[in-house]
Amino acid sequence: MSRFARRLANNFGGGSGLLGAVIVLTLLVLAVGAPWIAPRDPLQVDIVNQMQEPGPGFWFGTDQSGRDVLSRVIWGARASISVAAVAVVIGMAGGVSLGLIAGFFRGGWIEQITMRFLEAIAAIPILIWAIALVGIFGVGDGHWGPFTLGSELKLSMLLGVLYIPTLARVTYTTAAVESQAYYVLARRLQGTSSPRIILSDVLPNCLSPVIVQSTLLLAIGIVIEASVSFVGLGVQPPTPSWGNMLADARNYLLSGDWWLSVFPGAAISLSVVGFNLLGDGLRDRLDPRHATAALAT
Amino acid sequence: MAALFLRRAGLSLLSLLLVSLVLFVLTRSIPDSPARIVLGEDATAAAMAQFDRDHGLDRPILVQYGRWLEGIVLHGDLGTSFTTGLRMNRQVAATLPVTLELVIVAFAVSIVISLALGTLAAVLRDSVVDYGARLIAVLGVSVPGFWLAIVLIIFFAVDRDWFPPGGIAPLAKDWREHLRSIALPSFCLGVFYMAVLTRMTRSSLLDVLGLDYMRTARASGLRAGRVLAYALRNALVPVVTIAGMSFGHMFGWALIIEQVFNIDGLSRALLTAIQMRDYAMVQAVVMVFTFVFVIANLCADMLNASLNPRLASPA
Repeated sequence: MSRFARRLANNFGGGSGLLGAVIVLTLLVLAVGAPWIAPRDPLQVDIVNQMQEPGPGFWFGTDQSGRDVLSRVIWGARASISVAAVAVVIGMAGGVSLGLIAGFFRGGWIEQITMRFLEAIAAIPILIWAIALVGIFGVGDGHWGPFTLGSELKLSMLLGVLYIPTLARVTYTTAAVESQAYYVLARRLQGTSSPRIILSDVLPNCLSPVIVQSTLLLAIGIVIEASVSFVGLGVQPPTPSWGNMLADARNYLLSGDWWLSVFPGAAISLSVVGFNLLGDGLRDRLDPRHATAALAT
Repeated sequence: MAALFLRRAGLSLLSLLLVSLVLFVLTRSIPDSPARIVLGEDATAAAMAQFDRDHGLDRPILVQYGRWLEGIVLHGDLGTSFTTGLRMNRQVAATLPVTLELVIVAFAVSIVISLALGTLAAVLRDSVVDYGARLIAVLGVSVPGFWLAIVLIIFFAVDRDWFPPGGIAPLAKDWREHLRSIALPSFCLGVFYMAVLTRMTRSSLLDVLGLDYMRTARASGLRAGRVLAYALRNALVPVVTIAGMSFGHMFGWALIIEQVFNIDGLSRALLTAIQMRDYAMVQAVVMVFTFVFVIANLCADMLNASLNPRLASPA
């Protein structure tokens, strides 16, 4: 490896971290650039070319309506990444603030109430919560007074709320330690207000584990979006998502049309590998003390 | 031990209560009321009020919650669905055993394999076995179970006739067919946790084997098997914790796997309830899930306390 490559890899905690970063970057490019990168319109029905096997014309083949599977997989990246990313942003906003407050005011009733409540929510696996909440709030577009929420945005908001306990716990653990440090005491003696100490002193020191955990939660989000869409409760057709493509493919399993299920599934696996490698690499680099295995969902 | 059990059981009870309260308040606060779902969009206000009175839905929400809780705690009764009029206990009783069998088989198989493989990989560190185990651990956590299910159906059920592509053959008729029909679903369900637990067993055992008292044990002439047994006892603590959680998580994933294999388990009941907007049933099924999850975690804590008595004494 050249010196440049080695220095680049070190930024991501080694070669596998760099590989993860490359996969994630590719996914982001596909998700953002889908309209320009996809060779065909993912919704374009083409009766003449139904159920084409992968070949020169259609690299990934076509589905039962003659839609191009490659284009649908590329647009599917957009659905997956956006659901997972919005969920993580919501989870970070809620989780980091709650974790910071509970960690800073340690020993008080704020800490007790917040942490007990979050523990109770975390008592059920995220997947079950996600399905239950989608079940309660309904499938498809949601209407809240004058506002309409698309099914994707609704799913990411629900998922984001479910991420709050995990990220709050991660932030809380570090914040509780940092808040006892001498530099915080020093800031207090200078007369700095609590919110200011939290934001400008404690928060920056809590970010590393949060970033690592968020990367892993992105992988989990992709799997959950796919699973929930697979059982028909997530992203609704005709919008292509890897999960609802697999749900369609389920109907053509017995006729041997393998390409319908292999490509979207491979896309899910590859993205999960990418985010996990990146997450593990970042952990080695940013947070080597907490090298524990994360249990998905 | 008893004190630990009481404290853990109390915490479990607290989370069950909180989860049930959150679910109850959510299902009662959504805009479509059971009256509107059952009576239709053109129902008169009077008819809807009558429906609410008949089903006790006009009372304050906490009173409704109390009555629901009383039914569960005192009579083990999950209640009757407002929309279908069916007793939910019967629906759960019809579908839970299917899911439970699937999860228990998947759990047992993945525990046995991951303990064996993880131990071998740790003892034979940097050997072919170790590399194999690590490869399985990486692949297992990356491939989503429901996609693996689809690929395996194509390969083993469509292209070859080794396993049926879906459904569960009744045990009473032919036990061999029954085993064949649950093999693929339980494998797909267990493979993720098998990978996680293999990795945990390996790393945890390596940690313990490197400790000073292990060197002492070896130096004092204990046989290798005896040393390994001592090491495992301590190394298993984190593995048991994660295994306990896995059991509950597998229950969640069974929802998806059952759908791939067309299995008539708890997932079918939950998804049908969601389609019919039968919120009482959704709530009941999720409570069953929560209960299983909480019990599994409690069992793991107790097992750990007996493996390592230090965990039993209050910190």
